Amino acid sequence: MGIGDIWNLIAMQPVINVLVVLTNVLFNNFGLAIIALTLIVNGAMFPLTLKQIRASKAMQEMQPKIAELKKKYGKDKEKMAREQMKLYKESGVSPAGCLLPLLIQMPIWIALFQSIMRVLAVIPENLAGLSQYLYSWPVVYSALPLSNDFLWLNLSSGDIFLALLVGASMWVQQKMVMTPAVDPSQKTQSSLMLWILPIMFAWLTLSFPSGLALFWVTSNLFRIGLQYWIGGWGGLVKSSPKRDTGRDKKYKKRIAEVEEAPEGGADIVPSSAREEDLSYEESGDKRSDRGGGYPKSPRDTKPKSRRGGGHRRKRG
Amino acid sequence: MRIGNKALPVGKISLLIVLLLVGLLAVGCTGIRGSPEGGSGATIVDETIFLAPSLKQAGGFGCSAPAVEGKLVAVNAETGVQRWEVPLGGAVSSGGFGCSQTTIPVAVYGSPTLYGDLVYVAGYNGKIYALNAESGALRWVYPREGNMDSIVGGIVIALDKLYFGCADGNVYALDAATGDMLWEFATEDKIWSTPAYDLGALYISSFDKKLYAISAADGTEKWQFEAGGAFASTPLVDNGTIYIGTLDRYFYAINAADGTVEWEFQAEKWFWTRAVAFEDTIYVGCFDNKVYGLNALNGEKIVEFDLESPVRSWPVLDEDRVFIATEAGEIYTIDAVNNQILLFADLAETIYAPLSLSEGVLYVYTQEQNLHAINAESGVRLWIQPIS
Repeated sequence: MGIGDIWNLIAMQPVINVLVVLTNVLFNNFGLAIIALTLIVNGAMFPLTLKQIRASKAMQEMQPKIAELKKKYGKDKEKMAREQMKLYKESGVSPAGCLLPLLIQMPIWIALFQSIMRVLAVIPENLAGLSQYLYSWPVVYSALPLSNDFLWLNLSSGDIFLALLVGASMWVQQKMVMTPAVDPSQKTQSSLMLWILPIMFAWLTLSFPSGLALFWVTSNLFRIGLQYWIGGWGGLVKSSPKRDTGRDKKYKKRIAEVEEAPEGGADIVPSSAREEDLSYEESGDKRSDRGGGYPKSPRDTKPKSRRGGGHRRKRG
Repeated sequence: MRIGNKALPVGKISLLIVLLLVGLLAVGCTGIRGSPEGGSGATIVDETIFLAPSLKQAGGFGCSAPAVEGKLVAVNAETGVQRWEVPLGGAVSSGGFGCSQTTIPVAVYGSPTLYGDLVYVAGYNGKIYALNAESGALRWVYPREGNMDSIVGGIVIALDKLYFGCADGNVYALDAATGDMLWEFATEDKIWSTPAYDLGALYISSFDKKLYAISAADGTEKWQFEAGGAFASTPLVDNGTIYIGTLDRYFYAINAADGTVEWEFQAEKWFWTRAVAFEDTIYVGCFDNKVYGLNALNGEKIVEFDLESPVRSWPVLDEDRVFIATEAGEIYTIDAVNNQILLFADLAETIYAPLSLSEGVLYVYTQEQNLHAINAESGVRLWIQPIS
């Protein structure tokens, strides 16, 4: 069994058959099936996506500090790299937190993409080839071939409106996670990412069947919703940040601690209890008293044991 | 993330991953979607073979545009030397690096049909061409302007009328001499199959899961039969019964007079090809890699052969032998008298097109664009001619 056969067995076949069954369930509407499956897959990958968005956000919020390091150790690259890693370590942010979820999600997206293309099966060669991917479920055999009509769209050919929608939703999604860059080179890179990718995807979308564009738009909208839930409109509307969730606060506090620490930051001991105390002391906000009162100083507080297996650094 | 003392440039890696993803999506285009290749069976009349070759796919970034235009070719059946070829139109890529094309390439799936001094061919670009069989000169084209939806099936001609089904869901009847439209009949979905003509009736199947019996004279419906799945195969009419397989994995025998089911047989995968009949046995290939021999009277399975590859090409009958080809390029003969199977030839090339037989010679056109002539008795290869 070759790698292609394994890929077909574990990725393509399940997705293709689920797509066909969903179409059958959703009034023989392939467009609805694409939307539904995209949402299901997005939902299944929700924890990973959440992790990735949070890690990216935390990384971006560290950029000012990294820029400072660059200023300080710009010429000594080895030292710079060492300090950067130290900063990541101490703030509890891992670059792998951005990349790993993306790497894990990639095969799933590719399988979804390939399956949609296969199920569209416009030409005889593709429809005939589809038969080797089908399970022996009667519903699958009665549903095929699927109708490619959805709203005003022919899902097997490109559509300019949907292409624009792909580009626009991708731009919005990227803009939301973007924080103002301090470093000019980083600023250029961000601007390039912000414009080039949406334009590129919109262009590609025109060439691909609009069924695929429907998948991209749905996926982008899902992520926009998720990002709004996590951090509000973010870089899209600067003046209206949404309240951070507990996890976001944790990232931010850790970063703040590192930033406020003396050089090297080795004597910083972040703890959830201390983080909370600091924030209330600094902001002057009130909160409902859950008993126990607040410690007078962060230094008086011993780290609390944490649930969920989160790692804790030792006192330096 | 760290390698030695160096921190990995996360931004650049993310960008790389995204670009890789875009690249993969683009590359996926060539592997899955592609353009229609076509490739008809050979039609042999008076020592001339008429054939529409398949379109070779060109590579390129994300786009598989056809490298050649569709055409009709006339070949000397004895020597394999080409007599003439006529281009059937042009295929123009839209430019850019996507997969879109401004016109549909002229792939041809249905075998050419000879009638009188004309040879007829139906193009995937939605046109019917009538050409002089001797010279290849164009006599008429339908429609004269513009294009219909794609035509995947072939043409049937009877009593000066030409019939074909179209992906717009309609069956059309044209005057074979002039190309004028006589009547049209609407079904509810795409038609990819070739109609079958018998005793003034036309039988045609559609993606709407129905088989229709239509009056060949005026296109009025006689009856319709609804199956559990779409039809992509062409019916066989034999002794007042229609035999046809569907995508719901069933093979049906239907009474040609009233459309009632005489029997049905279930396989494991789709039926795509047409069946052949020898006395009381129906032989039909299936996408489950098998060929079934069924009792024509009650549908009981007499014999089955596992050929280890799907059967898409139409089989052909030579007296009491059935020639049947797999997609993998193996050609088998089934002795219909005692149901013994023999490997006749292994071309090691992909076979989609119908097999053709004339004067004791089997003609096979492969997706590798080679036309093979094989002696039907001895299995000796007479010649191979690249037709591209």
